Amino acid sequence: MQADHSLPETSAPAEVPRALPSTQAGYPSPGARERRAMLMRLLGTYGTIIVLGSMLLIFSVLQPGTFATIGNFRNIINDMAIGTIVAAGLTVPLVAGDFDLSIGYVASFCGLLVVGLLSFSGLSIPLAIVLVVGLGTLIGIVNGIVVSKIGVNAFIATLGTGTIVVGLNYAYSGGIPLQLTQSREFTNIAIGRIAGVPHLVIIMAVVLALLWVILNRTVQGQHIKAIGVSPESARRAGVAVDRSRIVAFAIASTCAAIGGVLMASNLGSGQVTAGDGFMLTSFSAAFLGSAALREGQFHILGTLIGVLTVAVGNNGLAMIGAPIFTQFLFTGCLLVVAVALGGIGRRYGRG
Amino acid sequence: MAQSTLLSLRHICRSFGGIQALDDVSLDIAKGDIVGLVGDNGAGKSTLIKILAGAHDPTSGEVILEGQPRRLSPPAEAQRLGIETVYQDLSLIGTFTAAENFFLGRELALGRGPALLRWIRLKSMGDTAIKGLDELHIDIPGVRSKTVERMSGGQRQLVAIARGAFWGHKLLLLDEPTAALGVRESREVLDLIRRLGAKGLTIVMVTHNLDHLWQVCNRVVVMRRGRKAADLPSAATNMEEVVAYITGAKEAMPARATALEAGA
Repeated sequence: MQADHSLPETSAPAEVPRALPSTQAGYPSPGARERRAMLMRLLGTYGTIIVLGSMLLIFSVLQPGTFATIGNFRNIINDMAIGTIVAAGLTVPLVAGDFDLSIGYVASFCGLLVVGLLSFSGLSIPLAIVLVVGLGTLIGIVNGIVVSKIGVNAFIATLGTGTIVVGLNYAYSGGIPLQLTQSREFTNIAIGRIAGVPHLVIIMAVVLALLWVILNRTVQGQHIKAIGVSPESARRAGVAVDRSRIVAFAIASTCAAIGGVLMASNLGSGQVTAGDGFMLTSFSAAFLGSAALREGQFHILGTLIGVLTVAVGNNGLAMIGAPIFTQFLFTGCLLVVAVALGGIGRRYGRG
Repeated sequence: MAQSTLLSLRHICRSFGGIQALDDVSLDIAKGDIVGLVGDNGAGKSTLIKILAGAHDPTSGEVILEGQPRRLSPPAEAQRLGIETVYQDLSLIGTFTAAENFFLGRELALGRGPALLRWIRLKSMGDTAIKGLDELHIDIPGVRSKTVERMSGGQRQLVAIARGAFWGHKLLLLDEPTAALGVRESREVLDLIRRLGAKGLTIVMVTHNLDHLWQVCNRVVVMRRGRKAADLPSAATNMEEVVAYITGAKEAMPARATALEAGA
């Protein structure tokens, strides 16, 4: 136990000794090594906040009239609400040490399906939503069972179920977007406001609060966190490891389904691939979040900061009139930076 | 010994494939015993501990706990019967506080039903853990605020053993409790083991360190090649003799001796 935890601290700084100015014959002085470890710890703990802060600063200087306005920030928050719900859901299996690559496809299918159920099957809005979100939960449970009970690697398993969901999507829609034939009642779910606050923002806040409570104030959350650190220790202490993993996948998939429904409501139609992009942005956000305040640990508040970072970046690029391809470059770079920062946090944070 | 027997192993065998890890091992553990289990690598110590912990079932033989034949596996069953195990590693969650580790898998919570709906009582867990550590005179700062990965190896081991003692009211199994610890930290851990023994807890401790064994154990059980080579009160033997049993320079088992004679 002891050797295990002290290893990164002693071995990691020695990896790049030559890069240091104060080296003598390739070995850093103890002071330099300490400074470097300290710097890395800061980077792993505040890296994302530094990225977010510098973007806010740069875009505000470049576009003070359009970017740095309350109206624009209201837009940013509203636009990122659905992505936040999906990303926060993904955070739960990440905390448990698992991955879920199916969330984007689940969101797409659920958005399309809810429109179909309303427009063509004539279901009432509550029933359609309950059915679709329930389907999301079910997909998550299947993911969890395949990963924990059958022991398929989570990457492959969720890529598989995700692709099956794409298949179901095309089987249902024929690959053609579905138009919403119903009244404005359904679109009002996403577009409406209460006392000036958009529904989307309220729903986002409720989902975030709920997930935070689950992870930090329930026995289930405690178990999910424990298996993310050491499944074997948790198992030996009597934690139901498989069940906790299944619950974590179910939560992620449920949130993806909620995101899909809200997306359909926001768009007023069912688009075949509208939610696919959530996968990448959610991973970026969650990894960025792991380098915010917690030294490489995934957590709900961090993911919110992560989503905000992605959203501010994209919004700012649009505001300064950067061509659309730069947004892809930005998102891609951000994902790499995010994973790197999270890794630095994990490596240097302990001890 | 006047004390009553807590647990008896009768003719325990355990094989893994073709390898006979334990070969007809019988052992009585009296209440209040602190047994030091020693032997070379591969002598069967770990297998024996795992059978007691419920992690393995014996291939044949009987386990009798307080007069009743029992099946100890799975580990949760052994825990239910009051047997706790502190493994050499993999016992604590690094990002949890000592209090959270204390209650891992047995959280104090409000409400019933699925774990998702049970509200964790962090405050009560913290209070109880602090009280539990206090009773064992373990002084660790930040029981409810400091994650155990920020503690020293010795503090972590104290937390792990205290947790075992807190839940294991009958038998505490310790797997190399002083391995990887410094001198001062080892002494603190041994002090704790002694205090637990003084409180009447029965302890079986695997160790490679014979010095440490003599400091706390009243009995020495030597394993060699899957068999029990010696079982002596530690006051009636010495390090030299135990080393002789470990290396096989000395063989005491009558059955084995006669078998050798017959073979010769």
